[in-house]
Amino acid sequence: MTILMSEVPPIRKEDIAPQRPWSRRPASFWFAAFLGTAVPFAIFGGLFFVTELPVPVLLIAFYLPLQLIGAGLAGYSAKGKHGIADSSIIVLAIGATTLSAIVLGSMLLIIIVRGFAAMRPSFIFQNSVYISPSTPLEYGGIGHAIVGTFLIVGIATIISVPFGIATAVYVTEIRGRAVPYVRFFIQAMSGVPSVVAGLFVLTVFILTGVLSQSAIAAAIAYAILMLPTVARTAEEVLKLVPEDLRTGALALGSTRARVVLNVVIPAARTGIITAMLLGIARVVGETAPLLLTALKNDQTVLNPLSDPISALPTFIFDNVAQPYPDAVTRAWGAALALMILVSILFTVTRFLSARKPRR
Amino acid sequence: MRDLGKSKKANFGDRVFNRSITAAAFTSLIILAGITIFLGAKAVPVVQQQGLSFLTNTMWDPLGVPPEFGIAGMLYGSLLLAVIALVISVPVSLFLAVFMVFMAPVRVSKFLTNLVDLMAAIPSVIIGLWAFYVLVPPAQEWQQLLNQYLGWIPLFQNDSGNFTGTPFIAGVVLAIMMIPIVTSITAEVLKRTPPELINAAESLGCSMWTMLRYVALPFGRGGIVGGIMLGLGRALGETVAVFFVLKLVFDINFYQIIESGGGSVATLIVSKFGETNDEFEVDVLLASGFFLFLMTLVVNAVANLIVGRTDRLKS
Amino acid sequence: MEETVVAMEELDVELSAAKVETKPIEMSTKGVSVWFGKRKILENVNIDFQKKSVTALIGPSGCGKSTFIRTLNRLHELIPGAALAGEVLYEGEDIYRQDVDPVQIRLSIGMVFQKPNPFPSMTIRGNVLSGLKLSGIKRPDHDSLVEQTLTSAGLWKEVKDRLNSPAGDLSGGQQQRLVIARALAVNPHVLLMDEPCSALDPASTLKIEETIRQLSKDITIIIVTHNMQQAVRVSDYTAFFLAEENQPGYVVEQGPTTEIFGNPRDQRTLDYVNGRFG
Repeated sequence: MTILMSEVPPIRKEDIAPQRPWSRRPASFWFAAFLGTAVPFAIFGGLFFVTELPVPVLLIAFYLPLQLIGAGLAGYSAKGKHGIADSSIIVLAIGATTLSAIVLGSMLLIIIVRGFAAMRPSFIFQNSVYISPSTPLEYGGIGHAIVGTFLIVGIATIISVPFGIATAVYVTEIRGRAVPYVRFFIQAMSGVPSVVAGLFVLTVFILTGVLSQSAIAAAIAYAILMLPTVARTAEEVLKLVPEDLRTGALALGSTRARVVLNVVIPAARTGIITAMLLGIARVVGETAPLLLTALKNDQTVLNPLSDPISALPTFIFDNVAQPYPDAVTRAWGAALALMILVSILFTVTRFLSARKPRR
Repeated sequence: MRDLGKSKKANFGDRVFNRSITAAAFTSLIILAGITIFLGAKAVPVVQQQGLSFLTNTMWDPLGVPPEFGIAGMLYGSLLLAVIALVISVPVSLFLAVFMVFMAPVRVSKFLTNLVDLMAAIPSVIIGLWAFYVLVPPAQEWQQLLNQYLGWIPLFQNDSGNFTGTPFIAGVVLAIMMIPIVTSITAEVLKRTPPELINAAESLGCSMWTMLRYVALPFGRGGIVGGIMLGLGRALGETVAVFFVLKLVFDINFYQIIESGGGSVATLIVSKFGETNDEFEVDVLLASGFFLFLMTLVVNAVANLIVGRTDRLKS
Repeated sequence: MEETVVAMEELDVELSAAKVETKPIEMSTKGVSVWFGKRKILENVNIDFQKKSVTALIGPSGCGKSTFIRTLNRLHELIPGAALAGEVLYEGEDIYRQDVDPVQIRLSIGMVFQKPNPFPSMTIRGNVLSGLKLSGIKRPDHDSLVEQTLTSAGLWKEVKDRLNSPAGDLSGGQQQRLVIARALAVNPHVLLMDEPCSALDPASTLKIEETIRQLSKDITIIIVTHNMQQAVRVSDYTAFFLAEENQPGYVVEQGPTTEIFGNPRDQRTLDYVNGRFG
């Protein structure tokens, strides 16, 4: 005899509400967790007042091991032997997270605090002609370095983006025999140290007398560093273009070239802008190539072909270790300006890549 | 007939397009070859003149007769810094990635992804600035304590009493730069652990630790090692951040990581380039750059091989 | 016409009555309802699973069978937003009680999934023994355990000479039997199978079914299947699940397999087992 729906007992009232019995932990767990956290913290606090050891040392040498033991006990009481490893992972993971957050937080905080001390209109708009490291902050600024960064990055973008897109088009659209090699070289190129890119430009263009140390020379070095980022991101976004867009256009009698130029690239427009911005973000703070290929200049330079030129990273570099507080404050000011630039790039790329590609 | 002519023209256009795109796609090869050839060409006379001692010697005497140059301390120093950075950053990155992928609530995980990406976006010159003013002063005291209590370990010996410009600090700075790279790659790899394998492990009564140990980490091993190697390549080539926190010395500092003074090829190049007017010394710096390039190329090739092999296995 | 139906009913009751009475209940659910977030997936499921028998859960896609089977060994709770009401009794105890260790439950109540999922980084032998490593339980004499479980899963003869080759070298059907051996190695009393043959060819399917019949001499098996012939071939009992559009699923009818297929009392069951929908 079978049993029908109507014959099973109806739901009991207390069972109607959804429950999550697994999320409740036994009281012994909470007790152990409390003890396991409170005791290490109390010992940490005691040592903090009694000894003169610095806080990070106390945290790593005393608090963390004690906390691990405490968490292990809590884990053991909740889940048995397995709980020990699991709770240790949680403690170490939270430790790693906190550590990274502290590092990042302290960087951002000090850049903002120290950088604001330098900020004033003249700092943004003036250049550093007639300014020595000991000149008070009221005079001179980073205008020339901002112009330099924009000039160098702008030229580097103009050089690298077409090559980056072409590489991506080769991989996704032409799909020639050399695709694996091209990808391998792009990958290998992304590992080229920035100082080596600078040395390359130095050997090929500057020591041979083709170019002097200038914005254009620095831009070539930047372009070398940008290319892999642009190419790989562009490849990713071109892959997202639906295949039927291509076949549809080809079926209408378009040539491969027209399909790419008129259909595929416009369809991936946003993604390609993202690729460009990611490339810019990759190089905008690079210093080493500029030290070799752009040198420095207190004047505002608009001619990319001839004169040495300062940019934000080299301005920071020159002022960091100066024995004059005002010079150091200028370095922080320039760092704030550079960080604002980076944050803008970061936010815009986030915003663009969060948008779903149109299908 | 007209149709035929038209299509011929279209074919021609397509061919030009294909050819130029293909040519442009090989820019990367041309640049890599260019770096090898041009820097290599500068390295040849240097090695000819200095002999193999260029790689094994620790002298830097541009005014000597004949001038003597050796970058053994620098090459070894670069590796030492990279190893210190590796030892610090890999555990931190792995725990961060595991937390992000398997443990944290969705919102926390998203926040951490942004945090890691933002960390990756900070220019190295700013990290150097931060390290010089924020990290180095207290770190001297930490190293002093390390020496005081663990000085019997050769690693933590310090004879000079000077705790500035140590390889340890430079390694910490490099670790800070490696953590976002290794973390984001590891997190990507761990996210791709097939859910059916995690299901299987859960149904066999796994704990978080045994699931990681026997399922997730073996599955992602190739990708994770590849990510670590990429971070290592970045650490080997980093220049300015190290410049601010490491005291360059030409003698090899083999293992005393909290002793003042160490080496780094990349940093050597920028610091000497600013000081010299000597043409041969510039050539020597270019030759050093060549060997740095080779070193990073090898690390990257190994990373590629490892990542590529595991990708093939999975497909 | 009516008389014959009644006669058949009596016959079937007699046929299955022997089974029903000789077998005690291993597991049962009492008023189980299941949610994902605000969405209710299942309502008031009450099923008894007899010891050392095979129970098939049938019904159209999306009626909550797979979700239900995952509540039976506490895998359900691993999905964010999961919630549940009612009781799941195993040997008379509610497995969702606070002091019950879910790891012990998952070890006693093993599971085999739709897609064969051996661990790709392990050998055949390593896969069989993986449950011991993952759960941290110790069992002596691994060699005989490997042989015994692979024999139970009907795979020993095919793989005994290559126990140390990667599990990925096996065919889909072999992989699924390997996964069964892996589940058996931790000595479960109940084995849950979520459409274990849906990714396999007919020959492999028959082999798995044979394995299921053999295993049911020793353990209790609960199998979700879309294949009605399979349910008839392997199961002693059947529960028919159904869900109206955007409504939680429920059990329409349950009972001995012979009756559900031969003489169902609900029109919808009759339609479903005769292939008229789903």
